[in-house]
Amino acid sequence: SGGSRLLERIRKWYYNAAGFNKYGLMRDDVLHEDDDVKEALKRLPEHLYNERVFRIKRALDLSLKHQILPKDQWTKYEEDHRYLEPYLKEVIHERHEREAWNKK
Amino acid sequence: KRFYSLKVAPKVSSSATAEKVKLPPASQDCEITKLPNGLVIASLENFSPASRIGVFIKTGSRYETTSNLGTAHLLRLASNLTTKGASSFRITRGIEAVGGSLSVHATRETMAYSVECLRDYVDTVMEYLLNVTTAPEFRPWEVSALQSQLKVDKAIARQNPQVGVLEKLHAAAYKNALANPLYCPDYRVGKITSEQLHHFVQSNFTSSRMALVGIGIKHSTLKQVAEQFLNIRSGSGVPGAKAVYRGGEIRKQTGDSLVHAAIVAEGAVVGSPEANAFSVLQYVLGAGPLVKRGSSVTSKLVQGVAKTTSQPFDVSAFNVNYSDSGLFGIYAISQAPNAREVIKAALNQVKAVAQGGVTDADVTTAKNQLKANYLMSVETSKGLLNEIGSESLVSGTHTSPSAAAQKIDSVATADVVNAAKKFVSGKKSMAASGDLGNTPFLDEL
Repeated sequence: SGGSRLLERIRKWYYNAAGFNKYGLMRDDVLHEDDDVKEALKRLPEHLYNERVFRIKRALDLSLKHQILPKDQWTKYEEDHRYLEPYLKEVIHERHEREAWNKK
Repeated sequence: KRFYSLKVAPKVSSSATAEKVKLPPASQDCEITKLPNGLVIASLENFSPASRIGVFIKTGSRYETTSNLGTAHLLRLASNLTTKGASSFRITRGIEAVGGSLSVHATRETMAYSVECLRDYVDTVMEYLLNVTTAPEFRPWEVSALQSQLKVDKAIARQNPQVGVLEKLHAAAYKNALANPLYCPDYRVGKITSEQLHHFVQSNFTSSRMALVGIGIKHSTLKQVAEQFLNIRSGSGVPGAKAVYRGGEIRKQTGDSLVHAAIVAEGAVVGSPEANAFSVLQYVLGAGPLVKRGSSVTSKLVQGVAKTTSQPFDVSAFNVNYSDSGLFGIYAISQAPNAREVIKAALNQVKAVAQGGVTDADVTTAKNQLKANYLMSVETSKGLLNEIGSESLVSGTHTSPSAAAQKIDSVATADVVNAAKKFVSGKKSMAASGDLGNTPFLDEL
């Protein structure tokens, strides 16, 4: 419907304006590492973890040289998938469960 | 209606002529059903305030192959990991909250997951038990975190030299299956993956190899639970290899001043008539001290060896029965310089029995000791659950204690002598550990 199309366009605009895709990063690479995120990272399967480390290394290198990737290599909004999200959700769910039990 | 004895007390008839104590009449309480998919359900309603439910599975270290050794050990430790219905945290806290306990007991051939709790909370713990046995998830990070537990488990086991000797005995006596160690080998710690655990469970935890046993719970409840939840994997899974006895010897030279040595030959299969004969022979020869710090007067082995040495020693008959083989022999603990005399004297005692040197009085004493040991082992609810469960797995029936006692009584002295002959003439296997300078090899015996 028209309303959600507009929301989608705003989202895409904001994603590009945030700029981390110019370094070739995905959204889950730039999450602030609090305790939940740290625990979720421990549970990542090896191939996803290695890809994440590669992207961060490449981004650090570019930032050091004050460069960005050529436009065709920027991460596209449609291709960005939230790889950490299922693990993060699980960790947060477990933490809530623990807190609920401890309150009882 | 709650009674506090394990079995419902039989109605005692008030006849003045009954003087001797008779064993209680054949128990009608234990009900057994076998579902069409092969699952056996057994229950004993004894109206006790605490219930104990167990899932017995015909699997164990014998069903491993050389590529996945140690999987059964890790599985034993993995009973509290996350399942599809409950997270690991919830299983632990949930069972603790109702005052129950979940434990796993595994032998080479059987794994038993059992929960016990107060009668009112049976539903809660049953849910966790079923989750653990039918739908574990083995999340990779939980499995890796658990591998360090393998080392702790092994360290605790190694404190007992007997454990090491018995592992080596099985490795020496068999070519496969039963030769697999109960404890994960060192090179496999840290390498067992979640996929291997999943594969092991998928191929072994099938309905036709499981038995659901309960004490203090109604048969209809168990049956309903079993039909609804326990028929996920049908078929008989991966069949285990037939154990092939080979007869070898393994010696482990350590600096211990005590030598532990076990010498066995192939024994009887579980449930066969020979098994009873071997059990009686075990008690004729002496199966451990009956009086603390006593002198084991009725043990032929101890008396025979005591004549040859004044140093401290211990010797007893060793007997295990598996579903397709068994081991029977002697287990001797002696000071390192005396090992040769002790072992030779012990074996001579068995030879004496094989040549007919056993009286009917000896056999009767042994039978009484065996009966007493058996009956006392099923007095606790844990022992009774294990007994009902193991028997349901093997034969799908239940032998009442009085029937078992009768079977023991029917062993004749000639059977005992034959069993001893079988040991003397059979191909021997040996395992020894300690300072083995004066310990004989198999060919010197």
